[in-house]
Amino acid sequence: MSVLLESTSTSAAMRRNFWSGVWRVMKRKPSRLVGVVLMAGFVFMGLFGPLFYADPLPRDPSMLTRPPSWEHWLGTDDQGRDVIALVVTGSRYVLLAALVTAVITVVLGTAIGLFSGFKRGRWDTVLMRLTDMKLTIPGLPLLLVLSTVWKFNSAVQMGLVLGLLSWGGVARAVRAQTLSLRERGFIEAARGLGLSTTHIVGKELLPSMAPYIAMNMLIAITGGVYSQVGLFFLGVLPYESNNWGQMLNTAVFRSGALTVPSALGFLLGPLLAILLLTLAIVLVIDAMDEIFNPRLREE
Amino acid sequence: MTKSAPGVRIDGLTVVYKTPAGELPAVRDVRLTLEPGTITGIVGESGSGKSTLALSLLNAVQPPGRISAGSVEIDGLGDVVGLRNEQLRKARGKHIGYVFQAAQNSLNPLKTVGKQLLDLGRSHGVNDLPGLVREARELLGRMGLDGARVLDSHQHELSGGMRQRVGIMLALVLNAHLVVLDEPTTALDMITQANILKIVREVHAERGLTTLVITHDIGVVAEVADRLAVMYGGRLVEQGPTREVLGAPRHPYTKGLIKAIPRLVGDIDEAQALPGRPPTLATVPAEGCVFRERCPLRMDVCDTVDPEARVDAGAGGPRAVACHAVTVKEHA
Amino acid sequence: MTVIARRLAGHLARGIVMILVVATISFFIVRSIPGDPVAANVQKLIEQGMAPEAAEQATRVLYGFQPTGSLWQQYTDYMAGLLTFDLGQSVTHAGAPVTQVLGEAAKWTVLPVLAGTLLSFLVGIILGVYAAIKRTGKLGDILAISGSLLHGVPQYVLGLLLSAIFATLIPILPADGPVDILFEPGFNAGYIGSLVEHAVLPVVTYALAAYGGWILAMKSSVVTVLGDDFILAAELRGMKRSIIFRYIARNAILPLFTILALSLGLLLGGAVFIERIFNYPGLGLLLLDSITMRDYALMGGAFLLITAAIIVANIIADLFYSVIDPRVRSGEEVGA
Repeated sequence: MSVLLESTSTSAAMRRNFWSGVWRVMKRKPSRLVGVVLMAGFVFMGLFGPLFYADPLPRDPSMLTRPPSWEHWLGTDDQGRDVIALVVTGSRYVLLAALVTAVITVVLGTAIGLFSGFKRGRWDTVLMRLTDMKLTIPGLPLLLVLSTVWKFNSAVQMGLVLGLLSWGGVARAVRAQTLSLRERGFIEAARGLGLSTTHIVGKELLPSMAPYIAMNMLIAITGGVYSQVGLFFLGVLPYESNNWGQMLNTAVFRSGALTVPSALGFLLGPLLAILLLTLAIVLVIDAMDEIFNPRLREE
Repeated sequence: MTKSAPGVRIDGLTVVYKTPAGELPAVRDVRLTLEPGTITGIVGESGSGKSTLALSLLNAVQPPGRISAGSVEIDGLGDVVGLRNEQLRKARGKHIGYVFQAAQNSLNPLKTVGKQLLDLGRSHGVNDLPGLVREARELLGRMGLDGARVLDSHQHELSGGMRQRVGIMLALVLNAHLVVLDEPTTALDMITQANILKIVREVHAERGLTTLVITHDIGVVAEVADRLAVMYGGRLVEQGPTREVLGAPRHPYTKGLIKAIPRLVGDIDEAQALPGRPPTLATVPAEGCVFRERCPLRMDVCDTVDPEARVDAGAGGPRAVACHAVTVKEHA
Repeated sequence: MTVIARRLAGHLARGIVMILVVATISFFIVRSIPGDPVAANVQKLIEQGMAPEAAEQATRVLYGFQPTGSLWQQYTDYMAGLLTFDLGQSVTHAGAPVTQVLGEAAKWTVLPVLAGTLLSFLVGIILGVYAAIKRTGKLGDILAISGSLLHGVPQYVLGLLLSAIFATLIPILPADGPVDILFEPGFNAGYIGSLVEHAVLPVVTYALAAYGGWILAMKSSVVTVLGDDFILAAELRGMKRSIIFRYIARNAILPLFTILALSLGLLLGGAVFIERIFNYPGLGLLLLDSITMRDYALMGGAFLLITAAIIVANIIADLFYSVIDPRVRSGEEVGA
């Protein structure tokens, strides 16, 4: 009984230790706190942002493509809608698609990488050759070519396609991690203890790689946002719903934001959103790196 | 100025490392004299501070470590602890040669040995570069290598034993008369080990050097050293003429070390490993004797008072032991 | 030299397989586009009064394969055409061969990409060394964070921002194509000046987008080399600082050369955005236009060329590496 009590109290202490470690890392560079707050803001915006605005957004025919003003902080679009409202309502599509992309990228990449590194041998060779090939084919041109036959109808489908095209990097990295754990005798030791493969993978390998996978997931989210906004910006996809890439496309190619200064606010809205999202994720990854990589922690 | 073997006097040397738990000593209050023309061996387990001590001779302790107290007087150079920047750089290589552990890659992998030799010559203002190359070739030939071929090789084309000889050549080629060898035979096979030790002994005698050998292998010291110093937990616990120390060890740690060596002849069970583990930077006791945790002769005083080294003149030269138990026994 | 030859052979074999794979992908994509543009073309020509045979022949010239027969026959026909560099004709370029159209466009992509990448490489490695040496200080932090930020932000965001600032808000630089049409093309000061002026924004965008990556890569490379034994050894031998710095720099840059060649290849594929924003008639814009104008032979060709560029870059990177690193060069002797 007392043994049990002791072990629970130590694990509680460890958890406390972890959070105090997190807090210390955050405090050492306040910029990281900014990152966390920004990220929370984006999650909130995607979940609840659209609820704050009327659907469809009000149009003001007397205020077409206006520069920033008190009323409209980033100006209006070519239909007289407020740019900030467009950014907020458009975020749901963008972030949902990016999330789906990231989940598929990470799940697929981790599964393939783990399998490859765990099985080794012929499977490994075949899978890695495949991964290499996938990594050689340039992603954006492939997406453009695919857009002629594949219609991306919703945010989820969009995320699905992007995810299916971007697992290569994660698979490589996870395989390398698995192999290095194997080299340290991790897997053989677990085998020797008579543990099943599911146990080794689920209870030993995955948890030790979890922070790494989480960081990859954040990177995959930014990747998803970039490709998707980029595709809409290039105008190769049919208009689905309001989103950032669509805004960029209209701002540049319809309202002439690159020639007429009055449309600059329209252009700036989605750009600022992307910049802030990138900043948030870079700062959070920087913090995670230090929390989970004790080597970097020393002065 | 014609150079001859310099003497070295280390006194009160303390080296600390900056850690999250504050500054911890890796070498504490070490006093050691290298007589001109002798080979001194320092023996200790890993983490005993012997490599840090060796680096102190060149005032080259790497951050986060620093020399916090003491002096290292070298004839012809003065106190190297006080040397800075250019003075220090010129002393390294030219007055003091340092030979790296064989397993370490002490050469730039992208340049041939010869080009690195020229870099070394230019760094020390050698005008006669062809002369330097000739000297290097002779040294390598002296050590049984094809000098011209070696100078034309990259590091990856040389075997461990060859690299070690190149390291010795680079330490000596500028005519340094004080040479520090850090684990010169680790990671080499037995025959190469014996070869390298033979070379060290012969070159030492031929060129009139003062040599310091750092090792964890008592056999190496027994083979080459005139004098032997034993380090434990950053302290010098015993020193004296090699034969006397090995024949009649006084400090319980030295005794334990010698007992732990398996003999070729005799019962393998006679070799007894020392119980316990050597201390690390974080676990070395702040006060009292550093060895007391593993010591069979532990007394109450060992917990609080760090034993002073007691020096007496032996037949082959001075001997020193830092142990309360030994002192008590002799006075009793 | 045999080591290099063997590596080269392996790369070439893999490269050829990759090109076949990509050609296959682009063939089947063209064949599965909704509305079957190939059959539609034959139909259209027949309606215009052409004999069926002649219409098929014209379509064959256009797409690079015979439009009749089984899919497999069409596929083998297309692949056979590849061997003679016959990629079909571009409908949007008055029936010019696709290879010729691609060649025209390539120069507008290659030169800016090359200039931008080399610029960012130079600036990035210098700042990267600095970031490595000052890695615990404020400046190192700022360099590292700005590096990851720029590394993270997509090219088109940078391109749009630069264009908005320097072409719209403070219009000091042109962002409308590769050259002013006022000037007579040729070797005259006006034309060349205009070329250079128009290239500033795209080149700076390429450079800015890549430079963050160089800082990060160089920083970690220098940090690794600084921990190597031979640097300490050189210090203990009293080597001059300038010589030690050269040792560090050469060893740290080495792995980056591989990335340099690779990124040149990859940038060709990423040029779409920048060429769209700055209206540069390069390969990216050509690919994009071919898609919106339904010029499918051209689309397949552009896709193929961009992939081939990446494969070639891979090979060059590896060969380059084996030339500058003695360890690879004599790989055989190490093993023996």
